[in-house]
Amino acid sequence: MTGLSHKAKGVDHAAFPTFDPAATVRFYRDVLGFPVVHSICAAGWGPEDHPDFIHFFFDIGNGDRIAFFYYFGLEPPAGGPQGDVYARFAADAPRFFIRSRHLAIHVDSDEDLTEYQRRLDGSEWPCTLRLQHETIESIYTDDPNGYMIEFTRALRPVTPQEDLDANLTIDALLDVVSGGNPSMDALLTRKAELIVERAADWEQRREAAQNEGAQRELTRS
Amino acid sequence: MTILYILDVPENVPVVKVAAQDTAVTVDKVGPYFAVASPATIVIDRRATGCRHAVWYSSVAGLAGARITQWDKDALRVEPR
Amino acid sequence: MHTHRVGLVVPSSNVTVETELPALLCRHPQARFSFHSARMRMRTVSAQQLAAMNAQRERCIMEIADAAPDVILYACLVALMTGEPGEHQRAEGAIAEQLATGGSQALVRSSAGALIEALTVLNAKRIAIVTPYLRPLAAKVVGYLEASGFEVADWRALEVAGNAEVGCISGERVMAAARSLDLSGTDALVISACVQMPSLSLVAAAEQEFGLPVLSAATAGAYSLLRGLRLPVAIPDAGRLLRADAAVAG
Repeated sequence: MTGLSHKAKGVDHAAFPTFDPAATVRFYRDVLGFPVVHSICAAGWGPEDHPDFIHFFFDIGNGDRIAFFYYFGLEPPAGGPQGDVYARFAADAPRFFIRSRHLAIHVDSDEDLTEYQRRLDGSEWPCTLRLQHETIESIYTDDPNGYMIEFTRALRPVTPQEDLDANLTIDALLDVVSGGNPSMDALLTRKAELIVERAADWEQRREAAQNEGAQRELTRS
Repeated sequence: MTILYILDVPENVPVVKVAAQDTAVTVDKVGPYFAVASPATIVIDRRATGCRHAVWYSSVAGLAGARITQWDKDALRVEPR
Repeated sequence: MHTHRVGLVVPSSNVTVETELPALLCRHPQARFSFHSARMRMRTVSAQQLAAMNAQRERCIMEIADAAPDVILYACLVALMTGEPGEHQRAEGAIAEQLATGGSQALVRSSAGALIEALTVLNAKRIAIVTPYLRPLAAKVVGYLEASGFEVADWRALEVAGNAEVGCISGERVMAAARSLDLSGTDALVISACVQMPSLSLVAAAEQEFGLPVLSAATAGAYSLLRGLRLPVAIPDAGRLLRADAAVAG
């Protein structure tokens, strides 16, 4: 949409602290079978003095990695009773909010999803839930650090109209948020206006592009 | 006119079908969206659609001249604003 | 005035790096340096001991980085040049990653990388080298240099296995080996492709005698450090490599 080239290649690493490297390795390497692919031994040599640490990486597929920092001798910072080792929340913080931040790992099939469920269910970290969303099916568990991990598979491929719909939602969202009184009702009303403005045109342009593509195929052969 | 927009993807189709059972309801297309319209209130019974929980609660793409007064495990109720 | 801290990671039995580098750099007309080492246990220059030594690299970087050096020189040439082509870049990269992850600003250089850098700067394509190593290791060093794009026209291996002994090889013996080389058509002579075999006092005289650029692992190391620290390369009496900026520095 913006015409910018897209050169990003996914997740080099998503990093998290841990206070229990043994359990973390058991979970990712031994239970899930994610290989350890890199590690770095270092100290806090910069302006902020901090303990010696190990930074270690597991492959989570597609060359993407999840990474952990283990700091020798570090006591967990103070925080509330809820949450994971990184983010601690007060007792009254809502669960839905605490669980909003999570990592979901993609698998290709029901078979693969069921296999990861089997591995987790046979471990100290069994699945807490398996359910189906709009177009996906997922299993959930918490890793040894309390980080919520989801495995998910697509129930059908994403359609182009869903891409359009997502972009209309975002445009409507930005409009209602800047309008000063955001609500779902305001968003759906604004989105209807955008649908009327843009959706018919989108479909025409798509059909034209498809016809052009089909014509090119015909002339090529 | 109450208009409810629903994206045309396979899992949303039952919602539109059930809505259209009401003779006062007309269904048009605006690009890839169903425009489900009525001069009065639109009521859709969830169980009749057979939709999964998550599909049901994300089926509404837009509202024109309308507001949602009920959206739960039983029904979606869209009234003229 | 800022004293540039030079971190050295050296084989434990090495005495020459810590002798020749300070001797060279204290001749600098303006800059001042201090030297700080971490040691990797190694006494015999064999393939097994070299592999065991390389495994200590992480510990040495941990220790030396605590001294907040401006630059770290990984000073064991044969440890890297007996590896696969590209070994010195991999080692330098791993050290740089270790330092960067811990927020250290120290630059990284290796003696192996410095030698290649210096030969490139001298525009040398055809070279001759003198090494103290046993023949199989010397041949690997020759192979590494050739894989790096240089033609090694002639070479010598003095076949001294004990690293402490290497540190005692006389200047006469090194010069004799250099004189025995066929230097025809060569662009440069590496009079010591080893950071333990002393050669500093020979470099300038050898340049005079042979009439071509002469460098050592030590002078190349000094060159690389000065360039890295953006200091003028103006060290007298150690070969033309180290006088690259002599006119400018005055």
